[in-house]
Amino acid sequence: MSKTLKGITLKGSAELVAEFFSFGINSILYQRGIYPAETFTRVTQYDMSLQLTTDAKLKNYLTNVISQLKEWLFDCTVQKLVVVITCLETNEVLERWQFDLECDKTFFLPDQCKYESIQEEIRSVIRQITATVTFLPLLETACAFDLLIYTDKDLEVPEQWEESGPQLIDQSEEVRLRSFTTTIHKVNSMVAYKRTNST
Amino acid sequence: MDDMEDDTTIFSTLKSFKSLISCPDRSLLETEPAFGRSGLQNLYTKRVELEEAAERVRSHTNLLQLTQEKQQMELSHKRARIELEKEANSSSRDLQREIDRNRELLLQIRRLEEREEKANQALNEQMENNKALKRNFEELHKKANEKDSKLAEADQMISELKDETRRLNQQIQIQESKFSTQNLEIQALQEQLDVQRKYEFTHTQMYTIFLIPSNKCICTLERRLALQEQDSVIVKNMKSEVARLPELEREIKRLREENTFLRETKENNSLLREETEGLRRKLERMERAMEEKLKVEKPEDLSREVIQIQQRELNLKQQNYTLNSSIRSVEKARTELMPEIAQLRAKAQEEQKKRENQDSLVRRLQKRVLLLTKERDGMRAILESYDSELATSEYSPQLMLRVKEAEDMLQKVQTHNTEMEKLHCIVFVFLRQKIEELESERQQLEEQNNILEMRLERHNLQGGYDPVTTKVIHLQMNPTSIAKQQRTEEVEQLRVECQRLRDRLRKIEAGGGMTTDDTTLIIPPSQEILDLRKQMESAELKNQRLKEVFQKKIQEFRTACYVLTGYQIDITVENQYRLTSVYAEHMEDSLLFKSTGPVGSMQLLETDFSRTLTGLVDLHLFHQKSIPVFLSAVTIELFSRQTVT
Repeated sequence: MSKTLKGITLKGSAELVAEFFSFGINSILYQRGIYPAETFTRVTQYDMSLQLTTDAKLKNYLTNVISQLKEWLFDCTVQKLVVVITCLETNEVLERWQFDLECDKTFFLPDQCKYESIQEEIRSVIRQITATVTFLPLLETACAFDLLIYTDKDLEVPEQWEESGPQLIDQSEEVRLRSFTTTIHKVNSMVAYKRTNST
Repeated sequence: MDDMEDDTTIFSTLKSFKSLISCPDRSLLETEPAFGRSGLQNLYTKRVELEEAAERVRSHTNLLQLTQEKQQMELSHKRARIELEKEANSSSRDLQREIDRNRELLLQIRRLEEREEKANQALNEQMENNKALKRNFEELHKKANEKDSKLAEADQMISELKDETRRLNQQIQIQESKFSTQNLEIQALQEQLDVQRKYEFTHTQMYTIFLIPSNKCICTLERRLALQEQDSVIVKNMKSEVARLPELEREIKRLREENTFLRETKENNSLLREETEGLRRKLERMERAMEEKLKVEKPEDLSREVIQIQQRELNLKQQNYTLNSSIRSVEKARTELMPEIAQLRAKAQEEQKKRENQDSLVRRLQKRVLLLTKERDGMRAILESYDSELATSEYSPQLMLRVKEAEDMLQKVQTHNTEMEKLHCIVFVFLRQKIEELESERQQLEEQNNILEMRLERHNLQGGYDPVTTKVIHLQMNPTSIAKQQRTEEVEQLRVECQRLRDRLRKIEAGGGMTTDDTTLIIPPSQEILDLRKQMESAELKNQRLKEVFQKKIQEFRTACYVLTGYQIDITVENQYRLTSVYAEHMEDSLLFKSTGPVGSMQLLETDFSRTLTGLVDLHLFHQKSIPVFLSAVTIELFSRQTVT
């Protein structure tokens, strides 16, 4: 879809970003072991092999969120997307993967094609997500994840959505990761994790 | 566990009995030699009963195994129950902890919110302070700029004043120099006056002293005047001589006119000569023509013409001669006049030169006269001043006044300068202090700003947001909430199970043995298990009864053995039999036998008591190799010992 576009439009940019989030969230779930590795299957995207879940419920949930997110990206009303990983036993938030979104509404109509460079940037971000596993503390207990979206205050909350707290980590370490831009949307990535006593 | 031990002892005794029964003759003979037939019959019946019992027991081994399994299951159930209880306890504790943590977290959240609000308020206040300070700073800056401009103006004023002061100083210096020169002159003149006063003889002497130079001056003037007069006489002479000049000029004019006239006559002469030459040629031609014509024309005409021509010729010659003579005379006159003219010209030039010299002399003399008159006037003034004495001098008070005015101006300017400088210093110092304070404030505010910005950045990184502009939403049915729900459900289920198990435990403990469970376990009981349970219950009962019976019998048998053989046989360890004699002197005296092999052969083990019976051991065991004999010998020995003592 985006490959055929000669330039980047708002709709194309929203789709690119939504696609990135879908694959990025899947990568995070696979890397952090939130769901068992055997429930993931390998697909090729952005010229690299990524893991995609086959769990029907999870897939359904992700498509719901991503489709709603795409709409909001088109309206430029979304500010952040956060993947919150909670320990089920202690109900503590152990990790927060935060993606800040900056929407440039003053974009000019189709900018010259930079799809390859955007793809390169997305690739490096996903590679970095994979690489962060080396320094993030192990998730030994059973964990579950949640997707939070930071939007403008005056946005109408759809039916199945509700307001929630930010689910911050108590005593966190933050690491800024790479960012990528489609000239209309800019995505900054960062990960915050609970400080363990041993580190 | 005691049941288990009893079972093992029962099994072991059963095995031993089986082994004994398997060799019935030997065992019966060895163990029960004193029995009669009735005893054998009893034994047989007992043996039959025992066999039946054994058969029963065999048939019940399966049941016992089942019971074992049941007990194991019970144990495992107990363990599971215990673990579940523990888990329930731990989960209840965790629940309580979670509740506490929840409360604490809520409190923390409230506190953090309060802190956030406070921080925001502080931020706002700081921002407002920042703005106010910036405004103040700008105002102060403006004021500083105004003051700088004022300072610049003051500086300009100062510079202008300084220029004026310089000018005034210069004027003052000039005037001072003039004053000093004049003072010097005054001093000189004073000295002169003093000198004069020193030589105060009379006015006339002063005058004469004054007059000497004046006289000298007058003498010089007179000399000059004399010279002037001489010069004037010379001038007069020269004037008279110069007066001759016009006459000479008139003569010159006359001579020039004569010259011109003579030149004209000369020209006329030349013209006339040319005419005569022309006429001569004509004559010649005429003569030729006449000669030619003479041949043709009459001689009379010719003679007349010739005569006429001759007359003309004569006239012309006369004229020529007269002209020549006149020319010669004129030339002579001219030549005579030429030197006179030269002389007169030379004289005129000399006189002109003289006149010029005289004019220059006159000018010089006139200048000299002017100077002399000025000197004379000056001397007259000096004389007048000396006349009026030096007390009142006209020009110094003016100078003094001017000097005083200049000094006053200087002082005013200096005081003004010093005041301005002081003011400037004060203002400078004040402004510098203010600027330093403002700069330090600004630095502090900048640092605070940086710190707040860093905090905001950190806040943003950690996931904080501004509740006024942003809100956080998520799907209601999200994996975490689903997982939490599942967890709570699991916990509930575990609690319920725990409760059930606890109730079952209580019932089991209250009921004792096997009771029908009203509280059904998770696994629904099948018919086989119920039957087996009933069988197990019945088997248990039977087992118990058998045990009791067996115990009784064993006890009787053992007491009988003890009484009859005189030895109490205990099985301490597997295959080891401890024999204690009835006549033993001490309680600890015992013999240990170990069973080696399945046949029933025994070996004596070393004990303290056996060491005391080494003789008997050697005799009966090593030589005779008979344990019963040995035992009886020991009994006899002990009995003999007892009875003797």
